[in-house]
Amino acid sequence: MRRGAQPSVWALRGVLVAGILVALFAWVPQGHAPPVVLDVLVVAAAALSAFRPEHLSLPITMSFVVVWWAFAIGGDGLPAAALVAAAGLTITHVAAVLLSYGPPSLPVDPQLALLWAGRGLLTWVGSLVVWGVARTYTDHGTPSLFWLTGLAAALVGAVVAGAAVPVRGQQARE
Amino acid sequence: MSEPETRWRSTSNLGRALLVGGVAVGVALATGIPALVVVVAPLLVMGALGLLHKPTREPYVFATIGHRQLHEGQGTRIRLETRDMDDVEHLTRVMSPQPFLAIRPVDGALGQLLAPGDQVRAVEVSPRRWGSRLVGAEKVALTAPWAGYRWGPVPFIGREVGVLPTLTHVRSGGEAPQPIGLIGAHRSRRDGNGTEFSSIRRFHAGDRLRRINWRVSLRQGILHVESTRAEEDTAVLLIVDALADYGQSGGIGSTESSLDVTVRAAAALADQYLSGGDRVSLRVLSPSGEYAGYGTGTRHLRRILILLSRIRPGLPRDVAIDQIDFRTTAGSVVVVISPMLSEPLATATVRLVRRGLPVIVVDPLPPGSTPSVYPDADAVVSDLAWRMRLLDRSHLLAQLSAAGCPVVPWNGPRTLEEVLRRLSRRGQLPRVGGG
Repeated sequence: MRRGAQPSVWALRGVLVAGILVALFAWVPQGHAPPVVLDVLVVAAAALSAFRPEHLSLPITMSFVVVWWAFAIGGDGLPAAALVAAAGLTITHVAAVLLSYGPPSLPVDPQLALLWAGRGLLTWVGSLVVWGVARTYTDHGTPSLFWLTGLAAALVGAVVAGAAVPVRGQQARE
Repeated sequence: MSEPETRWRSTSNLGRALLVGGVAVGVALATGIPALVVVVAPLLVMGALGLLHKPTREPYVFATIGHRQLHEGQGTRIRLETRDMDDVEHLTRVMSPQPFLAIRPVDGALGQLLAPGDQVRAVEVSPRRWGSRLVGAEKVALTAPWAGYRWGPVPFIGREVGVLPTLTHVRSGGEAPQPIGLIGAHRSRRDGNGTEFSSIRRFHAGDRLRRINWRVSLRQGILHVESTRAEEDTAVLLIVDALADYGQSGGIGSTESSLDVTVRAAAALADQYLSGGDRVSLRVLSPSGEYAGYGTGTRHLRRILILLSRIRPGLPRDVAIDQIDFRTTAGSVVVVISPMLSEPLATATVRLVRRGLPVIVVDPLPPGSTPSVYPDADAVVSDLAWRMRLLDRSHLLAQLSAAGCPVVPWNGPRTLEEVLRRLSRRGQLPRVGGG
């Protein structure tokens, strides 16, 4: 019985690493290259995450990329490269989700991959919407903190609501 | 009141989406950079959808195995019975690898997207070697939509399935040398009520009138009858040497160890004789000393196959091999299936020959097989020791042949035919009485 990783799993690992690199280097064309130390760190952590997609190293790496973006953008507003970075992070997340469905000996189900590709695309449209809305309201007198706070409140509300809903089975037993 | 058990747990995917999204939104709030929210918006949406699809009911999953007993090479299906799967989008099954167990899908892992009403795909397994095999040991995980929650992986321990040696149904053309039973298919050495012609002799009181040969009677002027050979069954004692296993076993259809050949040969011979109406007994030389008395029929064959499938190699407990009472009966054919690497067994075999029983040794040692040795053993020394044992063995086999016990290598169910014919002819030759 074969117990090694399937070719489709290897491909997905490559996609995971590629996604995070796309997110990291999305603003290079505008002349904002990340420091070499960060490049090495992200590549190493991404490679580790490709083999252990459920490890904490992946969200930490992704957070590093996000923080780098905060430093790199500074006061440069809303570049279109943010959409490329969003696509990169989405690809990485979707690849990690697909890898987490089973051990490396489980071949990636094409139907499942297609489903998640669609979901990734749909959610990336969310980025496009936020980018469009933010572009519309920038320079129109509405402070960005205003709508950012609203978004954060909505997020916290969703998390609290989700966590508070009990499992029906639990209710029945209680 | 204790906290009720649920196996639904939030996944690392949900945690990642919320953590990265939360960090980005926090930094965006602190620095006033909306581009960060653009970058993590897809993650936030996926996280929120994962939370919204939090499962609300506990699924029920139960594994069932199609058979409790199988022959080598046969297959069965492991199905999953499921209930309350409304909150489940994807199912993953990962079989635990077991020796001599072929699994389909080949990698032992199966993933399935589930729509309402879908049946879970079965996993097919096929044991490749006789013995007791653990079938159905697996882990099952269920994932909710948007991969926010996962149920399990829940381990299923599986069940021991008895794997019987494979059978090749062949009817032997060989006859038993000394059949003494009442009914059966073997030609007796005595005249009696049968169908096979024996001789034409003078009429005796008690002879049936329909046996009179009128042509000879008219020519001779005295009544003559045709006599026939009686047809009788025989008793076969199978002595199985499970003192050790030599060579590597790759399962059915692959390389065979000496014990593989032994068990499959014993099964084939038992099947062959029992299907011919003969009585068969089994005596295994092993730590458990599996034994089946003389019996007939398919139930007896099943009993013998089950005993063979339970064999574990090793020395018998509490009894020396040359002291074992094989409980042979007069007229039995004794078949010793052994590589004859044990001198006490060779001595016991010669003793059976000297009792006047027809004894045949079937050699199950595959060519080129070697014993398993400790990993730290010196390869040169162990090779030399094995060669010396093989020399001893060839000497022992020659002595057995000289004592009147034919030794034949196992070559399928027809192995014994020629030997039995020879023994039968030898039994019919006139003998000179010794002092």
